[in-house]
Order: sequence, then structure tokens, then C-alpha cells
Amino acid sequence: MLIRDILEESEKKYADIPAVKWLKKKEMQQRTYGELMQNVAAVRKGLLANGFQKKHVALLGNSSAEWMESYLGVITGSTVAVPLDAGLPAEDLTDLINRSDAEALFLSPKKKSLLDTILAECPKLQKVWLLQEEPVEEEDEKVSSYAELKTIGSNNENDEKSPEEEDIATIIFTSGTTGKSKGVMLTQKNLAENVLSVDFVTNPGSIVLSVLPIHHAYCLVMDWLKGFSLGVTVCINDSLLHMVRNMGIFKPDIMLMVPMMIETIYKRLSAADPAIPKQILAEKVFGGNLKIIFTGGAHLDSFYIDEFAQYGIDVLEGYGMSECSPVISSNTQANHKTGSIGRPLSNVEISFEDGEILVRGSSVMKGYYKMPEETKETLKDGWLHTGDKGYQDEDGYLFINGRVKNLIILSNGENISPEEIENKLALGELVGEVIVTGENNGLTARIYPDQEIVQAKGMEPEMVQEKLQEFLDAYNKTQPTYRQITGLVVRKNPFIRSSTKKIKRQEALIDEPYDI
Amino acid sequence: MTQEMEFKTIVAQYCEVKPEDMTNEMRFREDLGFSSLDFMSFLGELEDTFDVELEEEDALQILTIGEALDMLQTL
Repeated sequence: MLIRDILEESEKKYADIPAVKWLKKKEMQQRTYGELMQNVAAVRKGLLANGFQKKHVALLGNSSAEWMESYLGVITGSTVAVPLDAGLPAEDLTDLINRSDAEALFLSPKKKSLLDTILAECPKLQKVWLLQEEPVEEEDEKVSSYAELKTIGSNNENDEKSPEEEDIATIIFTSGTTGKSKGVMLTQKNLAENVLSVDFVTNPGSIVLSVLPIHHAYCLVMDWLKGFSLGVTVCINDSLLHMVRNMGIFKPDIMLMVPMMIETIYKRLSAADPAIPKQILAEKVFGGNLKIIFTGGAHLDSFYIDEFAQYGIDVLEGYGMSECSPVISSNTQANHKTGSIGRPLSNVEISFEDGEILVRGSSVMKGYYKMPEETKETLKDGWLHTGDKGYQDEDGYLFINGRVKNLIILSNGENISPEEIENKLALGELVGEVIVTGENNGLTARIYPDQEIVQAKGMEPEMVQEKLQEFLDAYNKTQPTYRQITGLVVRKNPFIRSSTKKIKRQEALIDEPYDI
Repeated sequence: MTQEMEFKTIVAQYCEVKPEDMTNEMRFREDLGFSSLDFMSFLGELEDTFDVELEEEDALQILTIGEALDMLQTL
């Protein structure tokens, strides 16, 4: 079974049901399953007509029907889709486009300001399609619109054959522990098996409000691909500013969230007048129909599960990673245990090595793109080393109790490689040594100032603090919110180092107070 | 309630600081402990309460209470 088979089945069964809904200038827009699949086929045939079979195609932009139709047009043929994080700085995006060997790009019109940089820095790109219906104004012949591609596709009598199960469908970038993000290669089978193995059914036409970034495997596979397999209507949250407002407009039945979203909504719930009955409040905040929130990506305190239950909402925790397409285990309405991350999916085998959770099964990635060493370290004899420590209880429920690899996991589900950020911060003139830690749901930079500069300029501690904060403010402006530094600790002493002169991360918090 | 007081009451939903103790120099993330999502949700609540539309990219650059109040007054 392939994603293409799943989608074609849904097209037959749910042709007239809305597949996607969104707001355009406050007006509701929609595409039915029939319309969506017509556009998917047009994109696929357009790519074929343009000679992109087996090539890599990147996608850059926020959630939209056009983004999804393009993605599905790519993966239902022989082309490989590379979704990118639209919040990344231009230099990171061009690096990922180049490292993924993308030869074409779908670009959201909102990100058009990146076009010149991308064209200049990514010489392999032969084509850029702006995700818009209007003709493009650019004179560069490499640039045209998504509408033009669809027209070419609709006029093409030839269609791509279905891909093979072991063909790579998508490359998803994830934070690397060496400071360089890694391209996770997922096959057609990996994706389809994850969609089919997640134990969840709902009525066709049920409403899912999609609030996570679309380039994330969890959102991409579970909100969209799983949703489409069930005939649900996926509604697009246009901005995280409007999540609560949009819950009132779209009235979702089901949502996928990261723990930080649950924590934020809880703050709004608990600030309300206690005299308001919970049912009325639930209607005001959640739209009135929300019954299930699936959550994953980071640890959620079980306190919230109990609290949300009072509003009639089941919060079901799961566990996954991009390398597993992504879901590994999940609580379900029928089988759940508070504090656990659920039972493994039916296509997943679990094992443990020195407490580390190992995973084997049909959703485990093929490897990291062009990173054989990193692949070898993570995939050993078919077992994926998750980097998480955990255990399984007598009923088969999985629990997590620590991490093996050096990644910071924030409650917004973002995995942060501290080295990646430290490398950038180390470029600051005043930064002698720096370690980034995850504290209070954000990132803290612990910096030992460069003593030569401090002495040469005769800087007082107060001034050092001020200059470092200015440097961090400037850095933050160039970064997506989840990579911004929200805490600064100026160190009085250098970091403690091991016998091999490496900074001992686990002792990074030990220091005398810095006197201001 | 003045606009400033109404604004500070919304801020207080997301943190432990009382409206009367808030100063213009306080930073949302560092001093008030807002998560990135708290801040976005807060901006959305400002839009709904004061019936204004914020320019998202500009609004996300705001660091302090004073900057947010200034922005509200220009809308």
C-alpha cells in the first residue's frame, strides 16, 4: 500500500466532502477531496512534463492547500519531497536546499523576499514555482506559478507510474547532535505504514484544526496524511496568534498539539472567572466540539490531562520522531495510561540497550541523506537508537525517563541542538565560551566573556552584561522563535573541562555568582 | 478600565506578576516568563480585545511591555 493508493481510495469514498478549509481575508474557502486530488494529479503530471522524475523538490512556506497539493503531487509520483522550515534564516534554507540536492522549489508568495538569494545561492535549482494562482511578475524564466504548472499537468496525457514501496518519498530535516541538521529519508512504505498503523478512526467529515508547522513529520503525517485516509476535513490555522479564535470558527473535533500549546491554553482557561461553568468555557475556548487532543514531541505533565478531562477533552500522549515516520507509540481512547506514551504501534518492535529505547519496524527510516556515519551510529542491525531512555511496564505501555543524546527538547516539540546555536553565538566578539541549556521552557545562553576584550576595553561587569544582551537581541531577530535565547547567564569562571579539554556540559551550571 | 489596565490584565493571565507591579521596562520572555507560544496567544488576545489587526512579523519583534503599549497606541 502506498500513500497514492490511500489517497485514491479516499477520493472515491469522500469525493464531495471538504478535504481542506481555510480562511482568506475572513472568508471561508474549501477544497473537496475530488478537487484536491484533481490538483494533486495536475501537479504530478506537470512535474513529469517538466522532466523532474526521480528528482528532489523542496517546499518552503506555511500550511496551505497549495502547499499540500504540491507535496502530494510530488510524493505520489517518483519525485522526492523536501519540506523546509519557513521560519529559518535565508542562509540555513539555502544550505538545506543545496545539501538535499533539490532541483526545484515550491515557494509560498509570503516568502518571495527570499527568491533572489535562493536563486543566487542554489545553482542546482532549475525551477521555482510560486504557490499562487496569479501569473508571476518575475522575468527570470526559472520562476513561474503553481497555476502554470497545473495547466501544463492538466494538458499532459501521460501520468507518472506509482512509485515502488522502497523508493524515497520525502526527506525531512531534523536537528543533529553534531550541530548540523540531518535529512531523514523516509520511503513510500515508511509513510503509508505509519498512517495505517496508528490506531484511530473517526467519522468522515470530522474536523481537524491543524496548528503545527506543516514541515514537521508529526503534522504532515498525522494531521494531513492520516486525516485524509479517514476522510476528515483538515482546517488550516493561519497563525499561532489566532489559534483560540480559529477554534471558535472551525469548531474542531480533534487536534494535534505540542505540550506548550496545552500549557498556554490552560493559562487562559485558569484565568477565566471561576463562576463560569466549565461547559460554557469549553465552548468559548475550544469551539464546543473538541473531544480529543493528541500530543507528542515533548513531555507533558499529567496534571494537564486531568485538568482538560474536566472540560470533556481526552488528552492522549504519544511518542515519535521523524526517523520513525514519526509515530512510535500512542495512547488511544480505549487503551491509555496517564504518564505513559502509550503502547507501540502494531508495526513497531521495541527493545532496550542500557536503558535506551530501540525501535525496529516498517516505519523506520532508510537513513540520513548523504550522512553514512550518522546513519551507522543511529541505525544498527535494523534497530533505530532513539536517544531516549525508557522502559515498558507489564501491560506494554512505554514510559520515558531521560535522554542519551545531547538534544534540548522544548515543550513546543522543537528539538534543539545546542551545538548548532553555540556555533553561531561563538562568533560574538565578546563571547569567550558559550553553552546553551534548556531552562524554564526556553533557551539560556551561559557565556564566559572573552577576557582579552573585557580587559582591553576596561569593561565593568554591568557593561559586559548589557553588551552581551544586545548581542543576543540582535541574534534573536534573525532566528525563528524556538531558536531564540530567552535567558542570559554571564559566567565568572571558565567552564569546567574534561581531561580531553572538552567542556563538561553536565557541569555547565556550576559557577560562582557574577557580581554586577 | 483604561486601555493600559485592560492590557495589563491580559498580560497577567500568562504570568505571576500583578498588573499594578508591571513596569514598561519588563521583558515578556525574560522577566515575565512568557513562552514563545504564550506571547503569540497574548498578541491574538490583544487583537480580539481591542479589535485591531497586528502586523505579525513586527509584533513578534516586541520585547517589553512599553513597546507593546506603544504599538497598541499607534493602531
